Amino acid sequence: MKVIEKFKNFFKTLPDKFKAIPYKLAKKFAGAKEILVQGNGKVSASMIVMGLGQLLNKQWAKGIMLLFIQVAFIVYFVLTGATDLFGFFTLGTRAGNAWYGIEGDNSVVMLIMGILAILIIILYIAIYIANIKDAYRTQCALDTLKKPVSFKQEVGTLLDKNFHKTALALPVIGVCVFSILPIVFMILIAFTNYGDNIVPPALVDWVGLENFGKILSLGQFAPTFFKIFGWNMLWAVLSTAINYFAGLGLALLLNKKCVKGKAIWRAFPILAYAIPGFITLLGFKFMFSYGGPINYYIQQAGGEAVGFLGLDAKWSARFIGLIVNAWISIPSTMLLATGILSNANTDLYEAARVDGASAWKQFIKITLPYVLFATTPVLISQFIGNFNNFGIFYFLRGSLNVDGYFLASDTDLLINWLYNLSINNNYYSIGAAISLIIFIITSVISLAVYVLSPSYKQEETFR
Amino acid sequence: MNQAKVKVAKAKTKKVLNVLITYCILIVVAFIFFFPCLWLILASFSKSGSIYSFDGFFPVEYGFDSFKTLFTDTVMYNYPQWFLNTLFIASMSCILGTILTILTAYCMSRFRFKSRKAMMKTTLVLGMFPSFMGTIAVYLIMTQFNLINQHWGLILIYSAQAPMGYMVQKGFFDTIPYSIDEAARIDGASNFTVFVKFTLPMAKPMLVYTALTAFTWPWSDFILPKMLLVDRDLYTVAVGLMSLGETEFARFAAGSIFIAIPIIVLYFCLVKYMINGMAAGAVKE
Amino acid sequence: MANLSLKHIYKVYPNGAKAVNDFNMQIEDKEFIVFVGPSGCGKSTTLRMIAGLEEITAGELKIGDMVVNGMEPKDRDIAMVFQNYALYPHMTIFENIAFGLRMRKIPDIKRDKAGNPVLDKNGKEIPVMRHYNKQELTAKVTEAAEILGITEYLKRKPKEMSGGQRQRVALGRAIVRRPKVMLLDEPLSNLDAKLRTQMRSEIVKLHKKLQTTFIYVTHDQVEAMTMGTRIVVMKDGFVKQIDTPKNLYRYPANKFVAGFIGTPQMNFFQGTLTKDGDSVHIAFKRSDAKVTVPYSMLMKTMPQYLDGTKTVYIGFRAEDIALEEDKVAASNAKIKVRISHSEELGTETLVYGDINMDGDGFDETSTRVIIKSAGFKEYQSDTVCEAALNIEGIHLFDIDTEESIMPRLPEYNYADCKVSAGKLAILGQSIALPSAVNCSDGEYDLLLPTDAVTFDGDIPAEITSTEDINGKLLITLSVNGKKLFAVTDCSADGEKISVADGKIKIGIDMKKIIIRKNSEDVISPMPLVNGLNGTFVMEKLPEMTVVNGKEKKVKKAHYYLLIDGTKLEAPAEVYNKLFAATSDRKAFNSAYRYEWTPYDFAVSGDGIRAQVEETLDYGAEKFVRCTVGEEVIYVKTDKRLSGTVHLVPDVSKVSIIESERQIRIL
Repeated sequence: MKVIEKFKNFFKTLPDKFKAIPYKLAKKFAGAKEILVQGNGKVSASMIVMGLGQLLNKQWAKGIMLLFIQVAFIVYFVLTGATDLFGFFTLGTRAGNAWYGIEGDNSVVMLIMGILAILIIILYIAIYIANIKDAYRTQCALDTLKKPVSFKQEVGTLLDKNFHKTALALPVIGVCVFSILPIVFMILIAFTNYGDNIVPPALVDWVGLENFGKILSLGQFAPTFFKIFGWNMLWAVLSTAINYFAGLGLALLLNKKCVKGKAIWRAFPILAYAIPGFITLLGFKFMFSYGGPINYYIQQAGGEAVGFLGLDAKWSARFIGLIVNAWISIPSTMLLATGILSNANTDLYEAARVDGASAWKQFIKITLPYVLFATTPVLISQFIGNFNNFGIFYFLRGSLNVDGYFLASDTDLLINWLYNLSINNNYYSIGAAISLIIFIITSVISLAVYVLSPSYKQEETFR
Repeated sequence: MNQAKVKVAKAKTKKVLNVLITYCILIVVAFIFFFPCLWLILASFSKSGSIYSFDGFFPVEYGFDSFKTLFTDTVMYNYPQWFLNTLFIASMSCILGTILTILTAYCMSRFRFKSRKAMMKTTLVLGMFPSFMGTIAVYLIMTQFNLINQHWGLILIYSAQAPMGYMVQKGFFDTIPYSIDEAARIDGASNFTVFVKFTLPMAKPMLVYTALTAFTWPWSDFILPKMLLVDRDLYTVAVGLMSLGETEFARFAAGSIFIAIPIIVLYFCLVKYMINGMAAGAVKE
Repeated sequence: MANLSLKHIYKVYPNGAKAVNDFNMQIEDKEFIVFVGPSGCGKSTTLRMIAGLEEITAGELKIGDMVVNGMEPKDRDIAMVFQNYALYPHMTIFENIAFGLRMRKIPDIKRDKAGNPVLDKNGKEIPVMRHYNKQELTAKVTEAAEILGITEYLKRKPKEMSGGQRQRVALGRAIVRRPKVMLLDEPLSNLDAKLRTQMRSEIVKLHKKLQTTFIYVTHDQVEAMTMGTRIVVMKDGFVKQIDTPKNLYRYPANKFVAGFIGTPQMNFFQGTLTKDGDSVHIAFKRSDAKVTVPYSMLMKTMPQYLDGTKTVYIGFRAEDIALEEDKVAASNAKIKVRISHSEELGTETLVYGDINMDGDGFDETSTRVIIKSAGFKEYQSDTVCEAALNIEGIHLFDIDTEESIMPRLPEYNYADCKVSAGKLAILGQSIALPSAVNCSDGEYDLLLPTDAVTFDGDIPAEITSTEDINGKLLITLSVNGKKLFAVTDCSADGEKISVADGKIKIGIDMKKIIIRKNSEDVISPMPLVNGLNGTFVMEKLPEMTVVNGKEKKVKKAHYYLLIDGTKLEAPAEVYNKLFAATSDRKAFNSAYRYEWTPYDFAVSGDGIRAQVEETLDYGAEKFVRCTVGEEVIYVKTDKRLSGTVHLVPDVSKVSIIESERQIRIL
């Protein structure tokens, strides 16, 4: 109900919000306007040549540094930046031809370098604006007879007031290059025809929403997509529920007063948790393989070897996947629940005992709400983790192709299909489009779960 | 009187039954978790390597052969080298990744700057993208920087991506009272001093937890090394073991045990930190 | 070891919420100041602004002679004790206390390894800054630990200590640096009741020993009353009253302070006051209780509340109501109380009752009454007793503003007056009215401000008593047998007044009086504050100066108040203050309201264009009323003025208010 009301409210206030836009914009740009109107000659100098205003104010070190940055940027832009930026839009014009020995444009690299160039330009603009603001700040200080901040002081603040700038510089650059850039690249790829037989040296082009059309309309992709998507949802819900409740149950069991030697009992699940996942998965694959021990005993008993994970083993393979995933994931949920239970307020339980609540009632009325409240964010991330659980079926079944599926098997999740399509079969743009769809699905689900969750609704109750 | 006695007796039997059932379940659970490990250990001691020469779960003959071949027969499968590679990559990524993650979390918890909210939201959204479509881009970037087939390339990626998971650490820092920072600032400490002399020592459990997770990820990851490492001698254990077939099962088991032991030891030593760390990150968003 | 000055301190959050409003206070050296108030009243915010942990939105904060706005906490030479102690958990107690010293450098001279001074070429000592050495550190820490009795715990870690010991460590950490000001933010609220009492006296002892200025924040009025030399009572970001504990208790300026200070809480009734000749009838609402008291005891009460139409709060403290038979018998202000229950506290008994015979005495209503009685006396429930009111302990408050209506320093004298033929008949005197006080003949009410009584007139008067109230002198005069209050600054007129046998001559400042008929002002006082809207601008003008022996053209900045198109050059003391109170170029981008008294204007050839409307002649002084645009201002002048004039105010005497946020800057 609350959600609906929220939506209603949102639409009710929408016209007001639109009306407020010009005002908000004006407020946002008030600072810029102030600088443009009131900035003196030195500020204008800094607008034209970075650092010039600072130099005119006799702030030598800062001025030279800024000047150097501008020179460096211009050199970069002239040498590669401009072509990179241009290449981002064209994605290459000259096709390579081995016969004539022409080394053509590599569209994909051009795309990446284009994104990189845009990132660098954004960074440069940020520095440029900071440079103008700095000149204006100096003007403000001089106009109001205050001492402008000296370079030495400014460097000093990098370990104090502005320590976050120093500390965050490296992480931000790292995340930009290795997390944001790849994701932007992936999103952009979804709008090109990169893949199939169009891979460098062939030229890639922007195609708009064509890939999404291919996935959702009839064709080779759509049936596979919907089949996998259905299974993927089922898998994510089932496996998250199994892992969560089994882990919680195990933690409660180990938390019981009558259990002696808790550390030893806890050691077994932790053992399972500590073993690297790929070893476990490969181990289980061997266990259920044709020549594996399970089939050995079946044969000993006079049965015939069963292909648990074979080509036509749809449900048995899915079932084994759930079990193995539970084996791997339950211990971590157990550890988490143990930690949270140890923080729980014991008074509540004592009060409940005095009130005559049974163990089951205590669990339903106290433990579950509390743990659910505390773990909602984790639950969401576990759900997303399971939704995108690549390892399980990649290791258990490898890259099988089953009839009725296009380049996928009946146990494959979207992420496995994605892998088959893009890494093994070069359907890059389709793969990117699918991952965008996955992203939209997971974020909508997790947002909905979060909004409906106890930790969102009753933030105050357990504080 | 009598009724009360009956009630007490009933409660007693109920209690005994309860304990009995609890222990039964525990034994079953322990068996489920322990048996596959035991199976792998037994398999590593099998004389013949192939999985087809087993009596069910148990090898026909026992011996140390597979361990011997693991470390001596390095022509096809250079396990000692893989192990060292993995150790190097995981340790370096662990150190760098921990530093970057802790710094990020500290800043996000303690500083209020203009782009803070935007950065937090961005990381939250980015976390929901299926990461490995991005690996194509990472691969292309690495080729541009000439870091393909090099361990430092992997280390760079692992440590650069580590700060994305700063939320758990931030949750922990949020629980350290601000007044300690303020007291230190009045005493004359700069923010840097506060971080080094106060926040870090107080966040020891969180440091251990962060280091542990930053170590285990590269230790058991296979997607990135498989993509970026070409030479067999540069492989990590995960990639190397994956290239073993069913006939090499005993060798696989032996190799697995060796790669699993360090992590298991670490986990058992630091289980307390793990539990606290996970809870700290969970309770506070 | 320093005094503090807080002038027009504001804390405004970006969302516009004002946490602290116009906080003004002078704190003398060695004072023990307590900020007290309910949570969210802004007391901690004020303290944190003094500490430098919170930015000051506007105003001027001085520690010693230094303006410390925007200065880092560590440079302010203050120390702070936190509510949760904020000890460093991973350090030993010794390290906890020593940390502040380790971070600091002290001036010294350069020495060689043996400790002998190294001299420069001229044979002079070379000054250097160095850290404390080990012996010095140990000595200082030990000294601080000894003062607080924690010497034996120096090697322990905070978590191995009890709450009280931790608090001592926190205090030790603060005193070891010998700061100019000690700030304590609810330091005792995490302790249990017994420890709290003990630590309370220890902190007072510490204050005596250190001879430092203490500022102490608490929500507990008992702490405030027992510890402070002066107390600041705050509510919702406003200062409600600043005074000594005794004066807060005896003369609360408003109902909030009256109710907040003292346990049990003051009894508040509602009722009306009706003046009838020389006595006043007090009628309690929702009760039959009525008492009659002589008017002389309620002299300071504002007369508009004495006509029986306005409901007021009537406050009596529990000890100002008595149930003892002898006291009741002797009193002539008696009310009936139905007793409901009592709380025996040993030395005394709190009796709960109701002056409404149907009230239950439990709920806090306007008829519930708590009476302090001697210990071990039993009172039967549901019996009706007579109780005696001590009228000297009466407190009266307005029902809406909750301000006291019998202030300690009365603002006005109230009298009936008669005007006939330009003469004003009051106090048995007939005074000629100046032409500015233009009033038709008739009978009026006269409101004579207490500061309008001057001591240079020709009305004979007798001083009956004088009272020094926070730097102001309240003089009670008798003129022809009528009581008259006069207020003056202690320092200024003090000498003139101490005339032998108390006989002096007084006058009346006619521009301040109010003449009323039927609650409508016939004559209003002349406003003494003239506000003009304007902005602040800068202009750079070329100027010849001598640089290195050469004459050079240099642009120099000049600053002006811009009012209605007229530029008035601001002197250094004005623009410096304005710049200190604003950030960036805010000073040039804000609208201000400039205020002057009528005495600050000169008429000159160029200045603010004003249109003269009227001349006001008060006899001794003459003023003109002019308009500047929409504004009306009053200007003192000796000349006859008419038409358009140009006014030049004395810029050095300006006070400035920032219009947008309504913040007083100067």
